Amino acid sequence: MKFEILDAPDFGCLRVRFDGAGEQLVAEAGAMVSMSSGLKLETKARGGLLAAAKRSVLGGESFFQNSYTSTGAGQEIILASGMEGDLREHALDVGQTLFLTGGNYLAHVGERFTVDTQFGGVKGLFSGTGLFLLRLSGPGTVFFNAYGALHEVDVGPEGYVVDTDHIVGFSDSLRYELRRFNGTKGLFASGEGFVCHFSGQGKLWLQTRSPRSLARFLDPFRPVQQSSSGGSSIADALGD
Amino acid sequence: MNVEIEYGPAQSWMRVGLKPGDAIQAEAGAMVRHSPGVEIDTRLNSGRRAGFFRKVLVFLTALLRKLFGGETMFINEFTAPSGGEVVLAPVMSGTIQRRTLREGERLFVQTGSYLASTGDIDTQLRWGGLRALFGGEGLILLECAGNGELFINSYGGITAVDVEGSYIVDTGHIVAFDGALDFKVRAIGGIKATLFSGEGLVCEFNGRGKVYVQSRNFKALVGWVSRYLW
Amino acid sequence: MQIDLLYKPSHTLARVVLQPGEGVRAESGAMVGMSPSLALSTDGPMAGGGFFKKLKRAVLSGETFFTNTFTATRAPGEVLLAPPLCGDMCVHDVRPGERLVIQGSNYVASPDTIDVDTQFQGFRRFFSGQSLFFLTAAGRGQVLLNGFGAIEALDIGEPYPDGRGRLIDTAELVLDTGHLVALTEGLDYEVTTVKSGLIASYFSGEGFVLRVRGRGRVYVQTRNREAFGREVGSALPAKQQ
Repeated sequence: MKFEILDAPDFGCLRVRFDGAGEQLVAEAGAMVSMSSGLKLETKARGGLLAAAKRSVLGGESFFQNSYTSTGAGQEIILASGMEGDLREHALDVGQTLFLTGGNYLAHVGERFTVDTQFGGVKGLFSGTGLFLLRLSGPGTVFFNAYGALHEVDVGPEGYVVDTDHIVGFSDSLRYELRRFNGTKGLFASGEGFVCHFSGQGKLWLQTRSPRSLARFLDPFRPVQQSSSGGSSIADALGD
Repeated sequence: MNVEIEYGPAQSWMRVGLKPGDAIQAEAGAMVRHSPGVEIDTRLNSGRRAGFFRKVLVFLTALLRKLFGGETMFINEFTAPSGGEVVLAPVMSGTIQRRTLREGERLFVQTGSYLASTGDIDTQLRWGGLRALFGGEGLILLECAGNGELFINSYGGITAVDVEGSYIVDTGHIVAFDGALDFKVRAIGGIKATLFSGEGLVCEFNGRGKVYVQSRNFKALVGWVSRYLW
Repeated sequence: MQIDLLYKPSHTLARVVLQPGEGVRAESGAMVGMSPSLALSTDGPMAGGGFFKKLKRAVLSGETFFTNTFTATRAPGEVLLAPPLCGDMCVHDVRPGERLVIQGSNYVASPDTIDVDTQFQGFRRFFSGQSLFFLTAAGRGQVLLNGFGAIEALDIGEPYPDGRGRLIDTAELVLDTGHLVALTEGLDYEVTTVKSGLIASYFSGEGFVLRVRGRGRVYVQTRNREAFGREVGSALPAKQQ
């Protein structure tokens, strides 16, 4: 398989060219841009389709993946996320582990590559902040997105403080502690959500934009649920 | 007419220098700024050779789509009797590409990707399925033919794919394609695939020709940011 | 205070490096990351001190303008700032005697030597019903602005002293208000609709325009935040009343 990242750093997408039959790539569901007709598509979900559907209905995190298998030489596929921004390739050796924000995962290759969504500890720590973490282990290669640009911080002994909405991933060698911004629960919202204090030695990947900020910006523009009638009238539409 | 595309490839806009007698038409809402001598005329994009009945049909379609929140087919035409400049931009971030059309050439452009045009280009609305008419999944295309310049915007970057045989593109990622290609809008696979794969409608292309694919998709943006709403 | 703008122009990040004793005030929600040694304070409506001479909520939109101040104490430190939407940032040097009028959501940060006032009334009566409010910045120092898309610095009438802008060859400009980032106060401006008549305006798709005349600088963003908000927002799931 040959990998090419197109349109980075603003609209990174992944173009994969298969060399022969039987090659496989796993990707986030819904990421397919275009593909040769001969590629075989199979949908999987962590814990099985029904479990994932249940988690999704009950408001939990679900994680659907599609696997694409080639049936011949010369086939290709292009994959892209719904968010705009950069796309990076990261290889992990046997035993190497990385934490990645679930929403930023795009695809991976490697039969023995593991994507773990169920681990306790860290997951519990971040629940309530809206941060859904994956624990990735090699051998294999993962392709992940950033909302905006990807900014790398080499965390040193003095540590670094980040807004959790901007976390993309970090090495498993780092220690982390979650706090509210400003440390207090004061009467006036600071506008910041949670911050994470990283310490130790390791790499921290940040994205320069926050999905929650975009959601907050868009909220006033959303249609409003009509309580009684259930549909908007022509008069409403003209008056918009 | 002098056109410069600036701030590409991601935040592109086009600066149009108009001389007396020049005219450029652009989709409604595209105007960023203009010099005071520029005049704006709003009309329906029913195509240059539209007869009365076609104009009525396009008007009713446009009205329906405006009411249901879809693309309008109203365009603004900019002229400058004593010269001037107008700057045009699309709503989403991405690229603007200039494409010259000559007599005999045909290009299908997804309506959201039409930004502006000059010269004598005829555009006809085509759609893939009735649901597409009301802003749902599906393909709404402008079939463009004639003589002139087309300015096409993409959400994201543009990749030209040479189709030889059979190729599938998610409908939300189609910018434009050569008129010579056969195309069919369908669901990606069986019931399980359609429900769980997360993929919506796709367009299957057959034959030989170019398809212009954009690296981002409006519906995918909506799906992605929806997870962060409350 | 040193400001570096990284990853221009689509996903720009501002890295502000502060020397001991230096502080920067930033729009709430702008912090991406920072050195742990920086001191932090939140400036809400009850905050004392010189920042808000009179703070008043922007009545029409219900916007409340909050900032946080980051200060380096014993050691230098950095704070990374970013706006809520994709696009660029730029720095405008405010000189004594000059005021910069800024569309509220385009303000990112400024040091203490800049007074930011929310009392500007100039555009208010034209934007009722829309979530727009305006600030003015005066004093001496750098103001960090954001733009939705790329940012064009357009000089009208004469080149602006810092020489970084593009000079237009007419003395007047007509600008869609959704593309306005900021302008210097000396300019004459007037808000109108682009076409006369309700129906024409409705179908033209164009909103309000600003006619700008005189001498000064206008910052223009290449994308229209209101149009983007409407287009994407209207496709989102409905919310409860």
